[in-house]
Amino acid sequence: MGDLGLIAQVVVNGILFGSMYGIAAIGLSLIFGTMRIVFIAQGSVIVLTAYFCFWFFSLLGIDPYLSLIPVLLISLLLGAAFYYGLFRESAALKDRIGSLLIAVGLMFFLENFMTVVWTPNPRAVVTSYGFLTFNIFGIQLTLTRLIGLLLAVLAAVAVSMFLKKTLIGTAVRATSEDVEASTLMGINPDWVNVVTFAIGIGLAGIAGVTLATTYSFDPVYGFEFALKALIALTLGGIGRVYAALWGGIILGLIELLGTFFVGAGWAQGIVFMVFLLAMTFRPYGIFGGAGEKV
Amino acid sequence: MKDKIYTYLKKDKRNISIIIIALVVIVFGALPFYSDADSFFAYYLFLVFIYIILAQGWNLIAGYTGQISLGTHAFFALGAYTTAILWLHDVTKTWYYFDPLVMIISGVVPAIFAIIIGIPLLSRLRGDYFSFGTLAAAEVLRILILRGGKFTEGAMGLRLPAEGFTDMGIYYWTALFLALLATAMVYFLIRSRIGLALRALSEDELSAASHGINILQYKVLAFAIGSFIMGLCGSLFAYYLFIVSPPAVMNLNWMFLPILICVLGGNGTILGPIIGAFVVGALFTYGDVYVGQIHPMLSGIIIILVMKFMPTGIMGLKDRISPHR
Repeated sequence: MGDLGLIAQVVVNGILFGSMYGIAAIGLSLIFGTMRIVFIAQGSVIVLTAYFCFWFFSLLGIDPYLSLIPVLLISLLLGAAFYYGLFRESAALKDRIGSLLIAVGLMFFLENFMTVVWTPNPRAVVTSYGFLTFNIFGIQLTLTRLIGLLLAVLAAVAVSMFLKKTLIGTAVRATSEDVEASTLMGINPDWVNVVTFAIGIGLAGIAGVTLATTYSFDPVYGFEFALKALIALTLGGIGRVYAALWGGIILGLIELLGTFFVGAGWAQGIVFMVFLLAMTFRPYGIFGGAGEKV
Repeated sequence: MKDKIYTYLKKDKRNISIIIIALVVIVFGALPFYSDADSFFAYYLFLVFIYIILAQGWNLIAGYTGQISLGTHAFFALGAYTTAILWLHDVTKTWYYFDPLVMIISGVVPAIFAIIIGIPLLSRLRGDYFSFGTLAAAEVLRILILRGGKFTEGAMGLRLPAEGFTDMGIYYWTALFLALLATAMVYFLIRSRIGLALRALSEDELSAASHGINILQYKVLAFAIGSFIMGLCGSLFAYYLFIVSPPAVMNLNWMFLPILICVLGGNGTILGPIIGAFVVGALFTYGDVYVGQIHPMLSGIIIILVMKFMPTGIMGLKDRISPHR
């Protein structure tokens, strides 16, 4: 197989890795779409839920994939609490500066809170099946990463179905297109916002479980993760569920191929350069579309 | 009687504020003579002055022009690295601290960087996108510094010769001078025609453009001048720290602090960043001593509470208490 096999391996890893950015980006996309809030604390929330998963595993001995249910419930509640506790006023006023700063404050708080509670040392959930790999055409596939991809795709499908088929989902889409008009049609923006926020943070919970089972994490990893999710969102284009997932996968590919060809240090620089270029020349995402005016 | 005093005060408001400013400058400027310049209080004031410089730079970009820059740490670091590299390579042939030429170049380099990234970012993107553009640009700069090889010494950082160090006095006065300079720069800029244009475009870009204001030009100008001030601050900090390394000068705190200071004091006011710097400086220096490692958590909570209940900052409270401006 030689070099080609290695590159194929890198590509597969990039897709598996990027799907995690993808789920986070879908959450960001929803929150930004309806409330115009750039939730930069998303990454820190993901790491927080990863710690919840870690605690369920290490203290109660619950399997990480089983703990997806309580973690998901906790993060849905957390999302509703964030909305009512922190973002309600700024969402109503469409105050982007205010909400951005609140999110930055939340990120700062969570990072330091996690450092105090769980120490700054990297943690990981190590299960008996965590090292299980399949070998297909010479490409190593880790079970936990495959489950991560599966979860990401399932979550994207579920959110997409929710937005298209249910009444609340339709209301969410209507609100993200035009708040005033949807309010005139009798949609309560408060209700839509809290549902959106809960789902956005719920997706962070799923990403957190994936993160906990596949990689090691520490309290300050969240900021980098949130940046990557934002980049994935910008690459895919705001407002479309699958585009955000694709954006994440493309980002994962760029990152890992960059690491493979030019080295780990420069790969991050390439990621940010691609982001800057994409934002400057294709602000509606590389898949184009009319999108929302920036 | 009361009205009389009020009109008198209003008439001489300008003179009174000049007297107050002069008094404050004399009190702070003379502090090293009647108190030890190496005392903890003097160190606190030195940090406050640094915060004021940085916050005034951010205030100009975000408070007055309405462009939320999240790249403060990059401009700060660029200023610090410029000073360190110029000094180590002995470009200016001057071996004393606070060489004005080095400091001005350390401000100009970030300003040029701001123009280079500002033109593409500001011409196409607005609002949050500009914020992430500056953040991404800062990350690119961080990689460049980390991978700079011999030129920047990577994660180790540059070590500056510290033999000439005697006491904090000169640092204190330079910081005070630069804080005054930054405040004066922002003050006079905002009162000029440029400032009028900046405030107009922060209120309503479309309407400003239709009144003949070249939006891009003014935005980039404000961004460059703000970055110049941040670069000066970085230069000062490089002289103070002697070790210019990514963890020291590219710390995210340097991005976060000016925002916290401006928001807490009152964004888009001239006194806001000064008040904010005193409060935040006290929180951080004395918080370190008395509360220990919990204080970063507290500052996160404070920024949330301030944004939620006091979005116009301490300066905004004044307007709420007294209807007279």
